[in-house]
Amino acid sequence: MFNKILIGRFIPGHSLVHRLDARVKLIVSIAFIFVIFLATSWPSYLWASAFTLLVVMMTGLGLRVYLRGIRPLIYLMLFTTALQILFVTTGPIWWQWGWLKITEDGVVNGIAIFIRFLLIILISTVLTLTTAPLDLADAMEQLLQPLKKIGVPVAELALMLSIALRFIPTLLDEAEKIVNAQRARGVRFNEGNLLQRVKAFVPVLIPLFINAIKRAIELGDAMEARGYRGDVERTKYRQHHWQINDTVALLSFIIFSCALAWLRYIFG
Amino acid sequence: MAINFQEVGFTYQAGTPFASEGLHDVNFKIPLQQFTALIGHTGSGKSTTLQLLDGLTIPTVGKVEVLNQTLQADTLIKTTNQLREHVGLVFQFPEAQLFEDTVLADVMFGPLNFGASKTEAKQRAQEALRLVDLSAEFESQSPFDLSGGQMRRVAIAGVLALEPELLILDEPTAGLDPKGQADLMALFARLQQERHLTVVVVTHQMEFVAQYAQHVVVFEQGTVVKEGTPAEIFADSAWLRERQLDVPMVRQFTDLLTQKGVALTPTLDLDQLTDQIVAKIQGGRDV
Ligand SMILES: Nc1ncnc2c1ncn2[C@@H]1O[C@H](COP(=O)(O)OP(=O)(O)OP(=O)(O)O)[C@@H](O)[C@H]1O
Ligand SMILES: [Mg+2]
Repeated sequence: MFNKILIGRFIPGHSLVHRLDARVKLIVSIAFIFVIFLATSWPSYLWASAFTLLVVMMTGLGLRVYLRGIRPLIYLMLFTTALQILFVTTGPIWWQWGWLKITEDGVVNGIAIFIRFLLIILISTVLTLTTAPLDLADAMEQLLQPLKKIGVPVAELALMLSIALRFIPTLLDEAEKIVNAQRARGVRFNEGNLLQRVKAFVPVLIPLFINAIKRAIELGDAMEARGYRGDVERTKYRQHHWQINDTVALLSFIIFSCALAWLRYIFG
Repeated sequence: MAINFQEVGFTYQAGTPFASEGLHDVNFKIPLQQFTALIGHTGSGKSTTLQLLDGLTIPTVGKVEVLNQTLQADTLIKTTNQLREHVGLVFQFPEAQLFEDTVLADVMFGPLNFGASKTEAKQRAQEALRLVDLSAEFESQSPFDLSGGQMRRVAIAGVLALEPELLILDEPTAGLDPKGQADLMALFARLQQERHLTVVVVTHQMEFVAQYAQHVVVFEQGTVVKEGTPAEIFADSAWLRERQLDVPMVRQFTDLLTQKGVALTPTLDLDQLTDQIVAKIQGGRDV
């Protein structure tokens, strides 16, 4: 039941997107969240969707994988859209019932928000599906380097992040095992009312936390025993090399963003 | 009705990019009210088979018949709850399932889930704890203050307290001290005899297989490659070694003597082997 969670899971591959430097992908994914707000007209939405779809296709992972990634978030998306539709009350009224009204502006806004949301999720999913978690942590560490000057413990933060990422699959596997062991002892998950369902997870969470803490202590001991110190200059086992592809990718994104700005200028 | 696997296949995370095959084309039977051992190299599909036996997972293809229930791809997982009342499954490293404040409460957890009253659950729990050799003084301790071996016993007691007809154990003795291993195996064999249980044990220790099992199933790369009595399975030592499986000491000793030209009737019983050798020596002296 836990292995259905796809957000944040990496699927190894050899596509162009897979091979891009994690730093490029991270920068583009973050920048995309802001750039997408330039889209305000239908042509610009079309342009942004075309770009996103192209990137998704280039990962070579197939649309089904993405649909599965979106599914857990669909309610959040629909909820936000519904809020927009109900609470934007300017423009021609299409339907009214007491104080509830649906207006043209509301619907247009709602659809716009929905598309933005969808595109952002797709791009972020591209990032996590095609980038090994540890590469992502490394990329974050490198991009945060400047903050070291003002005393932010970048290396330690990055280490925490890599350890956390490293243990997500381990914890999920372990959760799955404990769930099965408790089911064998008669616990019924996914049955009964909300309270019963929540209660059913107590016998899973307690052993899971205890094991996680034990493992953390062991890992800490092992690192200390080998003389690990975070505050010294460390070299990296994995070296990242910026390649021509990375420059091309970054340039393409910049061109995409400029075009989006231009569309905004033309269509308002 | 015996336990029966017919053309069973199971794929983990089927239909996702992470799909990996656990079992394929599995056919075998587990006789009721006997001691059956599942053996096979690491990753050969033994644990996956056990989960199918308990209805925790449903076969992707084929069907599993167990205790009057048939499990196949379209079986709803909810309908298997009832099966689990009669099946006790002890997982590999079951210590990870302990969670209650006290040992007693943890062992009572299973029976309570299956609708036993508090007094009944307590009585069953105490009985189960005695079976695994944990005295009354452990009952009020926290399971997390125990040693690894003691935790294992508590977890096993937690399943024994369910009083299952079908008792399944996945490498129950791995990582225990030699005496603890022998004691536990002897306990399972004794329970099988006294209570007429069907016991299924996954183990890498061929000595125990030779000593207790009545039926042996050999797994290799996700499928069953041989089944039979221990005598039949251990008859071909070379075949077993090819599959990276051990051969019981008695059998190894017989093989070595046979190679040296001493004709012996194959046996897995140490006493029988001793008798044969003694007879040979005496026979030699008399001539
Ligand atoms: N949770 C899982 N997700 C994906 N694949 C799995 C999972 N568990 C097992 N497998 C795969 O299924 C196959 C059979 O595994 P299984 O655990 O049944 O082996 P086993 O015979 O019990 O081995 P061992 O003696 O090491 O316990 C292996 O190839 C393994 O990689
Ligand atoms: Mg196993």
